[in-house]
Amino acid sequence: MSLQHLKKVRVIVSVAVFVLISFLFLDIGNIIPAGVTSAVVSFQLVPALAKSLMGPGMWMIGLAGIVLLTALFGRVYCSSLCPLGTLQDLIIRLARKRDRRRRFRYSKPKYALHYSVLGATALLALGGSMVLLNVLEPFSIFGRILQGLVRPAVVGVNNGAAGILGWFGLYHVYQVPLGGFGVAVVAVPLVFLGVLFYMSYYHGRFFCNTLCPAGALLGLVSRFSLFKIVIDESTCKDCGLCAKVCKARCIDADNHVVEFSACVSCFNCIDSCPTVGLKYEGFRRERPKTSSDHVDGSRRNLLAGAMVSAMSFVTSRTDSVVSVPPAERQRFPVTPPGSRGLEHFTQLCTACHLCVSTCPTQVLTPSLLEYGVAGIFQPKMDYWLSYCNYDCVLCSTICPSGAILPIALPDKKLVQLGKAQFVKDDCIVITKKTECGACSEHCPTKAVYMIPHEKLMLPEVNNEICVGCGACEHSCPTKPRKAIYVESNFVHLPAKKPQVKKLEQQEVQTGEFPF
Amino acid sequence: MNRRKFFRQSLGATALAGSYLAFGRSARLFSMPLAPAGSLPYDLVAVRGGEAEVMFDRGIEALGGIKAFVKKGQKVVLKPNIGWDVSPERAGNTNPKLVARIIKHCLDAGAKEVYVFDHTCDNWQKCYKNSGIEDAVKEAGGKIAPGHSESYYQEVTVKGGSMIVRAKEHELILGSDVFINIPVMKSHSSSRMTIAMKNLMGVVWDRGFWHSNDLHLCIAEYAGYRKPDLNVVDAYAVMKRNGPRGVSVEDVVTMKAQLISTDMVAVDAAAAKLFGLDPDSIRHIQLAAERGVGRKDLDKLNIKRIAL
Repeated sequence: MSLQHLKKVRVIVSVAVFVLISFLFLDIGNIIPAGVTSAVVSFQLVPALAKSLMGPGMWMIGLAGIVLLTALFGRVYCSSLCPLGTLQDLIIRLARKRDRRRRFRYSKPKYALHYSVLGATALLALGGSMVLLNVLEPFSIFGRILQGLVRPAVVGVNNGAAGILGWFGLYHVYQVPLGGFGVAVVAVPLVFLGVLFYMSYYHGRFFCNTLCPAGALLGLVSRFSLFKIVIDESTCKDCGLCAKVCKARCIDADNHVVEFSACVSCFNCIDSCPTVGLKYEGFRRERPKTSSDHVDGSRRNLLAGAMVSAMSFVTSRTDSVVSVPPAERQRFPVTPPGSRGLEHFTQLCTACHLCVSTCPTQVLTPSLLEYGVAGIFQPKMDYWLSYCNYDCVLCSTICPSGAILPIALPDKKLVQLGKAQFVKDDCIVITKKTECGACSEHCPTKAVYMIPHEKLMLPEVNNEICVGCGACEHSCPTKPRKAIYVESNFVHLPAKKPQVKKLEQQEVQTGEFPF
Repeated sequence: MNRRKFFRQSLGATALAGSYLAFGRSARLFSMPLAPAGSLPYDLVAVRGGEAEVMFDRGIEALGGIKAFVKKGQKVVLKPNIGWDVSPERAGNTNPKLVARIIKHCLDAGAKEVYVFDHTCDNWQKCYKNSGIEDAVKEAGGKIAPGHSESYYQEVTVKGGSMIVRAKEHELILGSDVFINIPVMKSHSSSRMTIAMKNLMGVVWDRGFWHSNDLHLCIAEYAGYRKPDLNVVDAYAVMKRNGPRGVSVEDVVTMKAQLISTDMVAVDAAAAKLFGLDPDSIRHIQLAAERGVGRKDLDKLNIKRIAL
């Protein structure tokens, strides 16, 4: 195959991956099987890496594939498999459409900044905070944009259609709940999209070569790629076209140098060259010139500085989570079943919000700072909005990063996410002296049960069998404060099985009518 | 449902749109009460000892067959209890075989379409699926409809209500010619028992209001306003405790009983007795009887008892 076709292949692959991953987040009918989702996301670098560090699984195939691809041909991932990369390419395309004369100019790679970001991200992650990944990880940014901005639009169209069909008695298209709204849900991804738009509209793949930790990591690998794109000085006509179409702005045409670790392998240069002056070349005897030959001191300083700041951040992290005043009703959010507890969850979640868009009861919602800065944007269980279905483990089957680990349904039913707390003085039965019992009604284990109280029935909680699903809190009708709420467990605890006493089966006495 | 079928139905529906828009939703306004009080041979039919669907065959036969309630070309809505994401043997939802059999009777009597829905407590899709009711409805030729979104509900004034004055009621209740209530009889942590009147909480949107504003009174007042054309109480398998959701199959006893009547108070009173409770110990039955919604004086009613 001629190298001229590489760009075409890249475009086809990237669009296919882009569409596929978008579907995962926009699947409002939950029709995509969990296995397909897992397979697709195991080809996303950071989630696959996070999971591989925890233990073996099919995500290791994804990780190995990405590393191998990069070791052979450079950051092919960035232009073909990264959905955020493709989104940026779409924005760049738009920019070109608006201004046909728009051309890129070589810009000296900001390796110092980029590797500092990578170092800080890694250090923070090792220290237990995913904050930089939550903010910078490309798959997660893309996920949040889709979940927060595109999904509501899809739901809106669906519900409009459902409404119209409903008029004709057709219920095959049904209303889908919109889910939560608010700063964390809509404004955050909007800001991210805005910044991303600005960066790529005016500076191409600027994000990928300065802020993206995945790009930096792959850049480190691609430094040693077996095959690299180089300018063939024997055929180069010095037209400079390649540099003008280079989104990563990594081609120094004047000096015939391709900064390959900044190259996102979009192959626009190869496509644009009138003389086949760019090519993949391997096993060079002499190293190609790169600007990184001139080491400048500022880079090291920057790295050191970043590390120091990262370390200080790590040490401050634990406080940021626990220092919520104890008087607050909820010390920290409830984390989903399978996440083992606050620590495990916040230390692995990259805030891609795939669970948010998948959760059938929509109880998982994006947080802002409820987990502290260290766990910014990570999803939480919102029992005001909904509750966790007793017979569901969907989020645990699709979590790309391993923050929510797979958990079998029987095991999930014996995990306590938190404990129901009953506030008697706020309860309808006490304040209005009428029966209610909505909490007990919805409780799947009858951890909330009713006891006689002045001719009425009053709820009481047995925390031994409470699973912390939030059904009681969600169904409690008192406003503005719920009379029953779930207080989260720092570490998920085992819940006892509800005691089952056999009922005496009544004899089926035919013909017996007590009236 | 495949795409082709969907388009075909959509096109058909569009063709009918004009007439439908004019009359579809207000069908109830034009429909005449089919079985005025007194015209039926019995006030209440009680059946014991058979399979749910067989008991219905025999019970409805005693009332003159479903044709006493459903006329040719009519739109019927069935409201079983599909509130919970539990399997049929847990008896948290109405027996799917019973629902299917009632659909069959309606279609045999010439019903144009038979809709089934509930405003579920758990996730509606899981409830519909795991209760076995969705599959049973489709198999029987009925149409399963959603009730999980506020947009399916329209505001109505609850006539005679003092506590519950307004409610949002499902469009299928408002737009159908015949409304058949198919509760499952269960223990209930809030209302002591859930039978016919309590089952109507699943046709309205804002249940929280009922819970926070004297649940029993709301149930009784709403029952006075919205009277189903027929009530079929499923007491084949009965959740004796931990209701309405139940914890395991150990909460369930097999009773093999069924009650059929146009009078919700009568079936609720009879069901309470079957369950082993004094009807007067359930406040909404008492309140409804006081308000003349129906009769709980079972000894004065004309009851047909069928033992299989």
